[in-house]
Amino acid sequence: MHIPDGFLDVKTAVAGAALAAAGLGLSLREVRRQVPPARIPLIGLGAAFVFAAQMLNFPVLAGASGHLVGATLSAILLGPSAAVLVMSAVLILQCLLFADGGLTALGANLFNMALVAPWSGYALYRLLRRVCGNSLRGRLMAASFAAWASTVCAAVCCAGQLALSGTVAWGTALPVLALVHIAIGLGEGLITALVLAGIARTRPELFAPTETAQPIETSTSVLQTIGFGLLLSLGLAAFVAPFACSWPDGLEWAAERLGFARAAADKPIFHSPMPDYQWPGVATNGWGTAITGMAGALAAFLIAWVTARWLAPASNDSKTTVPPAVTEQDERKSANDN
Amino acid sequence: MNALEVHNLRFSYPDGVEALRGLSFTVAEGERVGLVGPNGAGKSTLLWHLNGLLPEILPKEPAVTVFGIPLIQANLERIRAEVGLMFQDPDDQLFCPTVAEDVAFGPQQAGLSKVEVRQRVKSALAQAGACNLENRLPHHLSQGEKRRVCLAGLLACKPRLLALDEPTSDLDPRGRRELKALLKSLPITQIISTHDLELVVELCPRVIVLDAGQIAAEGPTVEIFSDEPFMLKHGLERPHILLHHHPHPAGVQNNKA
Amino acid sequence: MTIEMASAGSREIRRLPPGLKLAGALLFTIVVVALPRRDWLDYGLAGCILLLAMIWGRAASWKLVRRLILLEPFAAGVAAMSLFQQGGLEIFLSLLAKSTLCLSCVLLLGATTPFSQILDVMRRRHLPGLLVTTLALTYRYLFVLHEEMHRLRRARQSRAMGRRHADSWRGQAGIIARLFVRASERAGHIYAAMCARGWKS
Repeated sequence: MHIPDGFLDVKTAVAGAALAAAGLGLSLREVRRQVPPARIPLIGLGAAFVFAAQMLNFPVLAGASGHLVGATLSAILLGPSAAVLVMSAVLILQCLLFADGGLTALGANLFNMALVAPWSGYALYRLLRRVCGNSLRGRLMAASFAAWASTVCAAVCCAGQLALSGTVAWGTALPVLALVHIAIGLGEGLITALVLAGIARTRPELFAPTETAQPIETSTSVLQTIGFGLLLSLGLAAFVAPFACSWPDGLEWAAERLGFARAAADKPIFHSPMPDYQWPGVATNGWGTAITGMAGALAAFLIAWVTARWLAPASNDSKTTVPPAVTEQDERKSANDN
Repeated sequence: MNALEVHNLRFSYPDGVEALRGLSFTVAEGERVGLVGPNGAGKSTLLWHLNGLLPEILPKEPAVTVFGIPLIQANLERIRAEVGLMFQDPDDQLFCPTVAEDVAFGPQQAGLSKVEVRQRVKSALAQAGACNLENRLPHHLSQGEKRRVCLAGLLACKPRLLALDEPTSDLDPRGRRELKALLKSLPITQIISTHDLELVVELCPRVIVLDAGQIAAEGPTVEIFSDEPFMLKHGLERPHILLHHHPHPAGVQNNKA
Repeated sequence: MTIEMASAGSREIRRLPPGLKLAGALLFTIVVVALPRRDWLDYGLAGCILLLAMIWGRAASWKLVRRLILLEPFAAGVAAMSLFQQGGLEIFLSLLAKSTLCLSCVLLLGATTPFSQILDVMRRRHLPGLLVTTLALTYRYLFVLHEEMHRLRRARQSRAMGRRHADSWRGQAGIIARLFVRASERAGHIYAAMCARGWKS
């Protein structure tokens, strides 16, 4: 989902950068306020962890493989604001060290993968936990579905940005990106649940049942929630809403009336091989994507439910938390791990 | 004045396990003392108590005094300037993106001027024999080189007591010989926690044997190490260097490391 | 995929202030992105400027080209979506041109500027300290954790009975879980090491 340079026009890139800067600033403020100094290095290490984790291959079919993104995983393990920092560090380094994701598109990429993904994942996780319960099984199920949903949300924003720049028509961008990420998200959900189960097995205090027991952020302040909610809403309004409201149709109608459309269609240097191509098998784009989305959500829910039951056979509640110890106790525990 | 005075030091982990059970010992200024014992004896835990990393909340009646300064909350900064602790894993200690930045970390945190920081970095790297590593990246260094840079980072803070946790554990024989020579050349008080009994014999006239959080023995190294039954009882053994010793030939100096 | 970018370039280009190189790369990419779609002449001009910079800086190498080839298919794949609209071919070709130019520019920057220098620039420009510290720690430890991950993988593969088991999702996820636990413990030690040398947060 890393958008390269040149795919976003100036206005979209600027909008993305502004939203990303605001979101990052808010996260920095929250982390400074809430995270104890002892946990600050964990943010940097968390980002290094996500980096390394993203390099592991999860084979899908012959040859093809999937990878963990880790936005929701980070948010659940470290808290949402810390996760924003973690994913931002990952994306900035990927951009500068590996040219993965454009320099001008960095703002938009940060918005999608470092703001929308962790926050939507975390919010959904918290919400679902109320439904599924605080047992390990309930938390795994909530985490799995939230990870799927966060992937799709980020993809929708990405599609909106591409469409707003005129790079890809909304009618193509949304179905393609949404479809691909509905599928990819299933993998993300499954891997997230597997990883959290693995952590719960060896160090249950790192995947705690309640926020107060979490090793990093102790609570989400009202300002934090409102601030991020506002930013995400602004982003959705800028990147997605115009298309969801079929505004371009309105724009086209107006342009035709005022004679712009004819001028624009005049004398293209290259003729597109497939102008006005409709996505196959779907009468109206919107319905097709919505149906696929609902099917994907159902699949994600099923996978979450089955995985959680498989990984946590009995409904065992987590033990009381123990703060991580140091030195020899750590070594003893590490020795037990191996 | 003693460099280090420990009196009835006790410590228990949050899960209730008693790691240190009333330790008392002193280290004179300029001395080099070995700290040995089986795994889980409490050696690392003890070292972490020497500069206030443990316990998380310092007691009002301190069990540790460093160069006459009691280890209480108010004196934490002063004590951490006096005690240089080398961690077991050099990657834990070398946390800056470049060697130069890492060695400069201590002096920078102490608020020294840019010029003073530069001077400290240069002299520390020279003392540790790591001048050629200044512009290198930590993940490109060998274990021996990392240890030198860690030492340089500590020396830049000009400590009067060095506490070393397993300094030769991941070194090849050459790296070990070089580190041994380096530690011998430093006139700073040292307490060296290690499984490398030969190193203790070669460097430390005095040794403390720790077992299950208590001092099993304390005194002249050769005398204690020669008592084979005692050594075996505490998870150690009589080092062969007491039976046979030959000086390794000088050989070709490797300027790279 | 190798983690590190090649450290290449002549002495002149490496001696240039990192701030200047970063600003130059930013300016170049912004200008290229802002160019109108059909501006083929200007694309060519930008390409020449870049090529000259690479030749002068002696940074044109097979490693750079190989990286570019590795990244291009992804850009081309996304760009292919643009074909499904009015004037799509033109958009597609301009996307390829712009993304190739910008990719090459960023690769050139990465090859001639050590990341620690970019961090210095960020510090001097008064970017938030917490962000720079996080980036520095991430950069420092991504190689360490990458190696740890490989070690865990190799240990697992040597115990697995056959390839299928070695690559199983549960096993790989287990590696990630252990990696997080190790990262968490290491973070605690790093904090202690920072405090031991007088870190004032």
